[in-house]
Amino acid sequence: MIKVTNFSKHYNGFAAVKDLSFTVAPGQILGLVGPNGAGKTTTLRALCGIVPPTSGHLSIADHDIVKAPIAAKHNLGYIPDDPRLFDTLTVWEHLAFTAAAYKVADFEESAEELLRSFTLSHKRDTLVHNLSRGMRQKVAIACAFLHNPKAILFDEPLTGLDPDGIRSIQQAIRERASEGAAIIISSHLLSLFETLCTHLMVLNLGECRRFGTMSDVLAEFGQSDSNSALEAAYFTITQEKERGDV
Amino acid sequence: MDAALLKLLVMRMRGGLRLRLMQVISLRGALFLLAMVGIVWLLVASRDTIPNAELLDIARFDPEAIHARISTFMPLGLLGMTLLTVVLTTGPSFHYSPTEINFLFVGPFSRRDLILYKFIAYAAGAGLSAALIIPFAQAQTGSVLTAFLAAFLTLLFVQLNSAAAGMAWQAFEGNRLARLKWPSMAVLFVFAVGAIVYAAAAPDQTIFDLLSELRHSWIGTVILIPYIVFTELFLARTQSSHLAFWGIMAVLINVALLWAVVRLDGRTSERSLKDNARLSDRWERMKQGGSFWATERIEVRSIPNAPTLAGVGPIAWRQAIKAVRNSSKVIAVFIVVAACAGPLAAVVGIPITDDRALVMLLFFFAFILPRTLICDFRGDLSRMETYKMLPIAPWRICMGQLVVQVLLAYIVALTMIVSVLLFEDRLTAPVALALALFALPLTFLIYAVENTIFLLFPAKLVPMGRADFEFLGRAVVEFIVKMVIILVAVSAAAGVGTFTFMTLRTTWVLPGMAGWLTMILITGLATIAMQYAFRRFVVAEAFD
Repeated sequence: MIKVTNFSKHYNGFAAVKDLSFTVAPGQILGLVGPNGAGKTTTLRALCGIVPPTSGHLSIADHDIVKAPIAAKHNLGYIPDDPRLFDTLTVWEHLAFTAAAYKVADFEESAEELLRSFTLSHKRDTLVHNLSRGMRQKVAIACAFLHNPKAILFDEPLTGLDPDGIRSIQQAIRERASEGAAIIISSHLLSLFETLCTHLMVLNLGECRRFGTMSDVLAEFGQSDSNSALEAAYFTITQEKERGDV
Repeated sequence: MDAALLKLLVMRMRGGLRLRLMQVISLRGALFLLAMVGIVWLLVASRDTIPNAELLDIARFDPEAIHARISTFMPLGLLGMTLLTVVLTTGPSFHYSPTEINFLFVGPFSRRDLILYKFIAYAAGAGLSAALIIPFAQAQTGSVLTAFLAAFLTLLFVQLNSAAAGMAWQAFEGNRLARLKWPSMAVLFVFAVGAIVYAAAAPDQTIFDLLSELRHSWIGTVILIPYIVFTELFLARTQSSHLAFWGIMAVLINVALLWAVVRLDGRTSERSLKDNARLSDRWERMKQGGSFWATERIEVRSIPNAPTLAGVGPIAWRQAIKAVRNSSKVIAVFIVVAACAGPLAAVVGIPITDDRALVMLLFFFAFILPRTLICDFRGDLSRMETYKMLPIAPWRICMGQLVVQVLLAYIVALTMIVSVLLFEDRLTAPVALALALFALPLTFLIYAVENTIFLLFPAKLVPMGRADFEFLGRAVVEFIVKMVIILVAVSAAAGVGTFTFMTLRTTWVLPGMAGWLTMILITGLATIAMQYAFRRFVVAEAFD
């Protein structure tokens, strides 16, 4: 369960996120969409405990990320938009460290299984700086999945992946959700939301413009072609405020 | 500290070692390592036969004089570093890479664990650095163990002290009294300038006498107490009780500072995150061959376009923009340093023609300046594809790339010549004019050689962490090659000048012109070599 209540984040007086509240229940996949600078990454980084909130509460599996950060982080997996890994370590060493960090006993079998599912088995002992961006993305995801987190946050998860990689990661996200993980995906790829998400939140200028189930948001715009409907919904919602301001 | 972080440290150190071994077993890595080891060995082995060996080996000075100097000036130097940290702190006290932020900040670790993790990583590096310092400190401390301990504890202190001072200042910044920072600094600056002027005016006192008096006064001793502890470590020689006492004091100070850093971290974590991101951007830029410093302004005024000059203009224009926007601070620092050369030489009492001063000047112009101020091919490794595609003749591209770099270095050289002319009686105006004339082709030659080597053997401009033997070896070999070429060029110019003088038996004007023209000819040849290297450069091979 991911719960955000009245979350705001200010940088030197500039409000990156304003009074955001939402909940992602186990099994749900929330798509976070919005133009650049809408506050998506700030929200994810605050949920991870990387940036402290200016006000409000954020909790992961009922643990407040500010008051009980370690308990919250034990239940969290985060895949950043740019998969940075430790250059001098191999793929397997990343998994070994992650297992130690999250106290995963006898991790070898699950780690091997993750490597197999992401077709990384043959890269087990490769230094990560020799991997392509897509491969590094897969390693980051494998590390995030290793401790079976109850909440998983993806920031642009499909960037740099080949079609096989996209399919395997979409499949993995579905599986994690069906096993009870609460998932948030931030992306600019509207088609990704269409195929994966159960819920949708549209952010613009740090504010929530729409939040609901995918079918509700699409139904509101009444289009039969689902891709066009999502696109129409996105542009209509993000431009509403701008038109209103004129 | 969390066991997982300890495991990560061990794995990272093992990984670092693995990479170094992989470097060394490659032919290039082995050759550069051998070159570096050989040169260091030559320096050490030949110190008894070089007449001015004291340039490289302080042990040849009077040991008691060195002892007194360390006792007096090391605490002052450490205090100066602390003040500079407070004034200039713009970066984080402990730098976390983006990887560490993404992996560790999200992981189930407390901030205290992360600080300890970083501290242990730094301590391991400090241990390595201390081992490298041993040969230089051993003559003073008496044994390998004392040299290592003194260097290790002092390096830890420098890092922790900078971190604590910087974080304390960041935590204090919101306070109303923080507004007094710059006025206080201005008062200190005026006081320092006043002391320098007083020392210069007083016939029987130098600035060092004043500093020595301050250090040994009761107020100076009180202010410098923490720094004196670390100084005493270097002065302990082999007296075990002396060493044990100051060693324990040093450890206690370091522990107290580490505690302060952990306590202060909570108040500065957000600022630290922002600074980390900025520092990481800088390193990324440097890895791409860019400048460490870069403008943080979002919108900037454009510089008027240069005349085309058949292609040379636009290339030089781009480098000029880069210099103005990214390197203006570095250029300003170098010009100030050059302007201070004359007064400094006068205050210290070392004439600019002294061997030590000449070696320092050579090192400054042939190594420090070219390695720090980069506005040519060396900073454009990731843009070589663009240069290769341009419909401009290679020699014009080479000239365009060199123009700004050479002019900037030449301005620094001219500033130094003028500064020395004003403060050094031995340097007459005609000699200064000759130096100014010869400095231009010489500067051009330095950068043409620097770029030719870079184009023939492209490599990164930043080392791969500590103990990057290939990088260090390469830097030493490049410096030696550059020195040999400059020596040959200067000898040729001097030879032609002398020959002209012997033949014509005239004033020094004609021989000087002959020598100068010889230098110009040599720079022309260097440009041809550089153009060849640019033609030969293969983009794909440089991006391994």
